[in-house]
Amino acid sequence: MTAANYGLDTDRASTADPLLVALRRRAAGRYAVDEFGGDPHLMDLVAPLFPLPVAVEHGERVPDLGPALLIANRGLGLLEPLAVTRAVRRAAGRRTRVVGAPELPIVGDALRTLGTIGYRPDDVAAMLRAGHLAAAPLGPTWFRGGAGAPPRELFVATLGFPVLPVAVRPGFPQNLPGRPWRVRFGEPLGPPPGTRSGDQLAAAELAEDVGEAVTALLADDA
Amino acid sequence: MRVLVTGMGGVIGTRVTQMLEARAEVTEIAGCDFMPPRRRLHRATFKRIDPRDRDRLVGFVTEFAPDAVAHVGVYEPDARMGTREAAASTEACTVNALGAAARAGRLERIVVRSGLEVYGRGRGHPLVPDEWAPLLPTTPYGRLCLDVERLAAGIGRRHDVRFGALRCAVVAGSHAPSPLARYLRLPAVFVPAFADPPFALLDTDDAARAFVQALVRDVDGPYNVVGPGAASPWQAVRRGGRVPIPAAGAGWRVAVRVAEVAGAPVPPHVLELLRRGRVADGGRAVTDLGLPDLRPTQSVLDDLFEWATVTRLEPAGREVVA
Repeated sequence: MTAANYGLDTDRASTADPLLVALRRRAAGRYAVDEFGGDPHLMDLVAPLFPLPVAVEHGERVPDLGPALLIANRGLGLLEPLAVTRAVRRAAGRRTRVVGAPELPIVGDALRTLGTIGYRPDDVAAMLRAGHLAAAPLGPTWFRGGAGAPPRELFVATLGFPVLPVAVRPGFPQNLPGRPWRVRFGEPLGPPPGTRSGDQLAAAELAEDVGEAVTALLADDA
Repeated sequence: MRVLVTGMGGVIGTRVTQMLEARAEVTEIAGCDFMPPRRRLHRATFKRIDPRDRDRLVGFVTEFAPDAVAHVGVYEPDARMGTREAAASTEACTVNALGAAARAGRLERIVVRSGLEVYGRGRGHPLVPDEWAPLLPTTPYGRLCLDVERLAAGIGRRHDVRFGALRCAVVAGSHAPSPLARYLRLPAVFVPAFADPPFALLDTDDAARAFVQALVRDVDGPYNVVGPGAASPWQAVRRGGRVPIPAAGAGWRVAVRVAEVAGAPVPPHVLELLRRGRVADGGRAVTDLGLPDLRPTQSVLDDLFEWATVTRLEPAGREVVA
């Protein structure tokens, strides 16, 4: 965080300003924008609008500081990333950058403002180098059921950063009575020590490990 | 070290020279440009030469026979000259000055000014490119910067000279002539109606420091030099207290015309920045060039809108006269 960000941290979530203060701040342009087009102030403002009930397991495994790649199973595609985002916010008080947003005009730009990026491995690697938490699905998109296939090209680009397998189990959305969404974080995984960046074999093995870890977390949860 | 500074008359060139003057290992500094330096220089030699005047430029550089060249003479379109003139001056300055410096026989290193425009902003291009991203410029200035890099790299290979390229974000400040800065200072500014893409800025002094560090550290290869963080058109316009006017599609043609009439021409690379953003991963420059304290983009943006207040001074000695 720098003073030039007008008191806003681009990584750590903060309490939203009261509406009038927030409007004044935005009218005066006193808010930060990050290199990926994310608007942390807007993220804090809209967070209360999505009150998805989430139960977090092993939240202590989410790092308090520094980069990590969270790899979660897929589902309907809209609420899974939101559940992961809320779980991380609750466990570590940090913002999560969701990977795999559609790169469409207007919609894509709006989603990027809320902290998402597309599925380019180079961009995900840049996001991790910038020290953010990135949440990616086991596949090129969040849609479709099942755990999904390990995204090997993503692991090649991001080799060396810690990877956290995540299992997301659906609950009832929007505070309807019933089970909350359950988000379980696995142990951090990484390539063997001494692995060179861009090592295809190490990335492929890590992808397999992460895929298996997510499947195991889902099986434990069932 | 004997250093030749091309483009010494510009804001960056003058600051590079001042910083080099303060270093003991730099024994002699010579520079040229089509306009005189912006600040007082103490031990550098300056010669006013139009970069397109081949004979004078080659003669000056050959006589000086530098060990190192800081090639700042890469002219951004609509900063100090029009697009065609900027391209012609940049190409002439690059070919003539670097060629003559290499043939003089003492040259060991070249550092050139380039821009993030070399990465382009086409569909499928990385959002935050690092130095190894594909070079696919999508604007005339981007292609010009890439030409400069290739020419300098070619000279470097042929004469066994180390070569560094500083791919700078938009260099801005209250005194730096920049088409983006001029545009953002208009009372009402056209901004994208349906997007708010991020862009990075670089402080003038930081750009100059990057040049000096690249010369003294004897680095090799390309470096993205960007101020940490980013700004966006909507945020920048509001920060400057200007009125944002949403534009989309063909509306941008009108916007460019209106801005030009208002005294702020918008070259294609600035229009691309406003519509698609321009940022890059500057981590390599921070570590290799030893620049951990680059001024954040938001701070550079604030500086862009700051104007010194005029303080009325009472004439000295009035009471004595009275």
